[in-house]
Amino acid sequence: MDRGCLISLITGVVLVLIVGATAMSGYNGLVSDQEMITATTAGIDSMYKRRYDLIPQLVATVKGAADYESGTLQAVVDARASVGQIKMPSELAADPDGLAAYMKAQDGLSSALGRLFAVSESYPQLRATENFLSLQDQIEGTENRIAVARGDFIKAVLKYNTRRRKFPSNLIAGMFEFEPSPTLSADPLVREAPAISFDDDQ
Amino acid sequence: MNAHAQLRACRSQRLSGPRALGVLLAVLLTCSPVGARDVPANDGWVTDLGDFLSASAEASLEQRLESYRRVNGQDVALLTIASLEDSSLEGFSLEVARSWKLGSVDKNDGVLLLVVRDSRELRIEVGHGAEGLLTDSISGRIIRNVISPQFKQGRFDEGLTQGVEAMLSALEGDLTLVDTHEKRSRRRRGVGFSFMPLFMFIVIITSLFGRRGRRRGMGGMGWFLMGSALGGRRHGGGFGGGGFSGGSGFSGFGGGGGFGGGGASGGW
Repeated sequence: MDRGCLISLITGVVLVLIVGATAMSGYNGLVSDQEMITATTAGIDSMYKRRYDLIPQLVATVKGAADYESGTLQAVVDARASVGQIKMPSELAADPDGLAAYMKAQDGLSSALGRLFAVSESYPQLRATENFLSLQDQIEGTENRIAVARGDFIKAVLKYNTRRRKFPSNLIAGMFEFEPSPTLSADPLVREAPAISFDDDQ
Repeated sequence: MNAHAQLRACRSQRLSGPRALGVLLAVLLTCSPVGARDVPANDGWVTDLGDFLSASAEASLEQRLESYRRVNGQDVALLTIASLEDSSLEGFSLEVARSWKLGSVDKNDGVLLLVVRDSRELRIEVGHGAEGLLTDSISGRIIRNVISPQFKQGRFDEGLTQGVEAMLSALEGDLTLVDTHEKRSRRRRGVGFSFMPLFMFIVIITSLFGRRGRRRGMGGMGWFLMGSALGGRRHGGGFGGGGFSGGSGFSGFGGGGGFGGGGASGGW
């Protein structure tokens, strides 16, 4: 009896350990994936803010240097204003619509800026000012970082959502209520896209 | 992963039967018929697939970047290609910088200069740790003020050499090469000769004492390098250039690869 009891006890302990280790690694994996998503969204948000902060300088430079086509400039000012009213939701999983609205406003600003830079090609006087070119570098640089961060975000979400549904971490996800994370559409890298929409408007 | 490499791996391991079939299947699945350009294998600090540089300019850039790495511990690499195929400039540049793992692991301070022949585009891709010194705006100025004017006149050796020099000095906090043209040529020569003794000193030290750790055959390579450094003084075809391809004098990238899209793009 003693021996059989001991064996079953050991087997039980080993089983509990194995199950516990699996559960722990599943749980920890989900948590670190979630942290990755949070980090990338914070990155996206801070870069959008940086772009938002650069625009008044850009508008002032454009106004100062040339008698600029007012519609294009006004579109940037308006798009910036509408971006200012929307915040990125703090809990993405709880508010996928908020995320979509935020991205839509930011994309509107991207295309308004793209149009402004495209139109600037026909203002040689403006393009000769180092200040304007520097602001263009900074804004395009920020937008490129955003495109990169969006790509990284999509990868992080894919990893998390996949882990959430795979066995055995799906059991842990169900037990501890890990919600699926909303994702973004892949952003075609920013530089060319707005120039095309400008041509369409002509 | 590159299909050729996989095939080679398959051949060298002499796989047989079902395993070989599995590898073959993997190769077929990973090699997509159309689409993004593969990341090319690097060939030292300078990988001139677009054929922009003369042999002597390439060799002296290799030396310059290797010595910069030895002194500052920072990776600055140059890649030229003939065509982007279906990739975007920014997307491809980021992919190369990340997969080459430029920059040190803790600082992620690598920098890549990418030049594309057919679309006449170029980009400076800056790692997270170098963004403070080589900002987007400074990168843009280097492209517009230093590289493009030379490229427009077909002077690729000068454009790339001066562009790299401007990048290196910006990374050291000195912006004089970024905007002015006259000072540049005078200063560049000065720098070239003053670092030569330092470079030789380092080479001699490393070849005498060797390096503990991952590098192998350092002694012989050191002497070879010193020979090349001495040869470099006589400007004009002292060496065939072949000696430097294959990465001799190249200590390898740092393994960082932390790039977030910093830098600037331009054309000529």
